[in-house]
Amino acid sequence: MAANPSDMRQPGYVAGAVDEPTQPLRVVPGYKETAWRNPAQPLVRRPLTLSELSGPLEPARRLSLLGGDIAGHGERRAIGQLMHLRLRVLDEDGSPVSGALVEIWHANAAGRYIHPNDDDHAPVDRNFYGAARLLTDERGALALRTIKPGAYPVPNSGGWWRPPHIHFSLFGKIWLSRLVTQMYFPDNPLNAQDRILNAPPSAEARARLIARMLPPSEGPADALVFEHQIVLRGRKATPAQP
Amino acid sequence: MPLIPTASATTGPFFPPRYVDTGCNDLTRFEGRAARGAPVEISGRVLQEDGSPLENLIVEIWQADAGGVFRHPADPRMNEADPDFFGWGRTTTGPDGMYRFRSVLPGARPPRARHVNLQLMFSGLMRMLPTVMYFEGEPGNDADPVLAAVPAARRALLVARREGAERYRFDIRLRGEGETPFFDL
Repeated sequence: MAANPSDMRQPGYVAGAVDEPTQPLRVVPGYKETAWRNPAQPLVRRPLTLSELSGPLEPARRLSLLGGDIAGHGERRAIGQLMHLRLRVLDEDGSPVSGALVEIWHANAAGRYIHPNDDDHAPVDRNFYGAARLLTDERGALALRTIKPGAYPVPNSGGWWRPPHIHFSLFGKIWLSRLVTQMYFPDNPLNAQDRILNAPPSAEARARLIARMLPPSEGPADALVFEHQIVLRGRKATPAQP
Repeated sequence: MPLIPTASATTGPFFPPRYVDTGCNDLTRFEGRAARGAPVEISGRVLQEDGSPLENLIVEIWQADAGGVFRHPADPRMNEADPDFFGWGRTTTGPDGMYRFRSVLPGARPPRARHVNLQLMFSGLMRMLPTVMYFEGEPGNDADPVLAAVPAARRALLVARREGAERYRFDIRLRGEGETPFFDL
């Protein structure tokens, strides 16, 4: 049934079709859970209405922010290589997404998460919980001070190790901008084997998941500095011609 | 030249419990004040291919307020939005695979029928799985353009069963028999 065009009005942001090779395969060889949990039926393409082209406004009024310095200090400093992450969040136009709520979590330097399901034998670091929740500034930027995460083996996977990586969950301007992704570190030999990093068919899309290390001379004396960019779905609508 | 959206990835199995803030599954209250409208409880069980329930799966919802208005600048009626309704919630499934939200019955906004957007995230889901829940017995369901995009034989799978004056049940099957329809975006 055709919708009434006056009710499918042009909102501030629109979203185009997914460029499939730039997104991961849904069922990934060697990652068995993906075959149990992803739909076998074709996905439905829907018309986009206000409901999908709006989304939670001012998310920090509902989700408490958690500080961006998660490495600790002095005697309570987390074990591991200190690092600073400079993240930028852009939309498909390349415009900064300000006020985006970003959740960031990762394993400790030994590859262990603080989570009831992580029964890995790697040690817990009492000075590292490993979760931040921050808002981007006017430039779409945020900064995190943390320690570099360790690699860890995936149980019962035939020798699959996750390379060091950082998880992100982001809220953009609209419901369709919602994104969960992971960031990797340059030149780690485990990157080439990782079944999650290598799930997008496009080599360019995979390359963009790897952070860039700045020359150490450009950062503070005690920490490595990495830069990373995340692009959220959605671009500003071109106003309709009268 | 537009930029290409970053490739998504699974949350993995270790999404921090701290991210599921207390009260996040109760949309009937926002910053201590009560939202307008008829309260509803929406619950259901999330199952994988072999029929076993999934624990710790993240469910997020987004919906209009009781008047059918979205508290968002894209909505030309935003100034009518209920200031005490946030519209978004998050919870995780329990050991029995059950999720549960308290919310208010969203208003219809023709051509859209009353509906709730859901987004599922979990270990093994490289991309989030978006779906939409409708309410049993709503005359507007037949005219909803999103529900109409779903093959006719599968539409009933998106309609939550009414289990009482204020309770709706919406079970979700990720794959296999009775598989819930999901959207590509």
